[in-house]
Amino acid sequence: MNKRIVPRVLYGFILGFVISSSVSATPVYEIEIRNHLFFPSELTIPPNTKVKLLIKNSDPSAEEFESYELNREKVILGHSKGVVFIGPLEEGVYPFFGEFFPKTAQGKINVKAE
Amino acid sequence: MLINAVIIILREVLEASLIMGVLLAICQHYEFSRAWAIKAVFVGLIGSAVYAANLPLISNLNDGVGQEISNVGIYALIYIFVLYIIYGLRIKNNAHLITNAMLVCVVMAIIREGAEIIVFVEGFSSVPDLLTPVLVGGSIGFGIGASMGVFMYYLVSSLSFMAGLRLSLLLLTLMAGGMVSQAVQMLQQADLITGQLPIWDTSAYINEQSLLGQMLFAFMGYESTPTPYQVVFYMLSMVFIITFMLGTLKKIKIMSAHD
Repeated sequence: MNKRIVPRVLYGFILGFVISSSVSATPVYEIEIRNHLFFPSELTIPPNTKVKLLIKNSDPSAEEFESYELNREKVILGHSKGVVFIGPLEEGVYPFFGEFFPKTAQGKINVKAE
Repeated sequence: MLINAVIIILREVLEASLIMGVLLAICQHYEFSRAWAIKAVFVGLIGSAVYAANLPLISNLNDGVGQEISNVGIYALIYIFVLYIIYGLRIKNNAHLITNAMLVCVVMAIIREGAEIIVFVEGFSSVPDLLTPVLVGGSIGFGIGASMGVFMYYLVSSLSFMAGLRLSLLLLTLMAGGMVSQAVQMLQQADLITGQLPIWDTSAYINEQSLLGQMLFAFMGYESTPTPYQVVFYMLSMVFIITFMLGTLKKIKIMSAHD
């Protein structure tokens, strides 16, 4: 009996990976980096929802999108785009910044029900 | 800009530097050749230049998550080779395989971190006013990061064989666990594994941005808000690696008692 439970849990685990990443359209939010600033610098997204951030870097220099609160970091090269998935998240404020130009490149994500 | 460059380069250098310090100290205790380290730095630097040059291509792979996939690949390789090193240390006359595994670990760590440094510094190449402070700050950061690796080397080297081995295997275990947790985070960032709500929040006790938080991150991949998958995989990877570690320590103890 016990021997059968372990594989079942494992299958469930693997199935969870596959299904959850393919089903349901993920809302996309765009953020632009220009002159080492984020536009918009504040985004509001719904709670408990996975969201796709499309980050467009219009500067010639690279930037690293980083957030301790969101546990995300990604290098976005100059004149290019990058994708970062975030969430699901609880309601709250999640700051992010550009690690390469942190003085100016600051922003936050508000997670709030409409 | 200067302080920022110090911190960025320090954070990048630290990981490779600590791993290298610990691995070299193991070689010192085992009286293995340490020549691989120079080769590793050389190959690692060339590798990071090649990686950085191809980053535009890599970034666009798989709908823009190629960076995450290659990072996961690098973390996985380092984890596997660390696992081998920990296992292989119990085998007699195994210097050749072990030092080659060490070479791979350090090369991989340098490629990942080195490419980020190149991309960061490159951004300032057209701004001479900022380039100087970035290079000065970067050098200071590099110096601090490298010193921590040297410190780690002398710390482990100064201990007795058994104590040094225990400490270095423990450090390797923690670092490898941190890499597994980072790899899971990358997979969630790329939506290759489903994102999840954090399982807990310890930011009120140890903030990730604090000095302690940063150190804990470098040594064991500390996250204040990990997801359940991160915790599960961290634990699993630790169970695996600790089993290897205890096996090796036991075997070596018996072997050295016989000598």
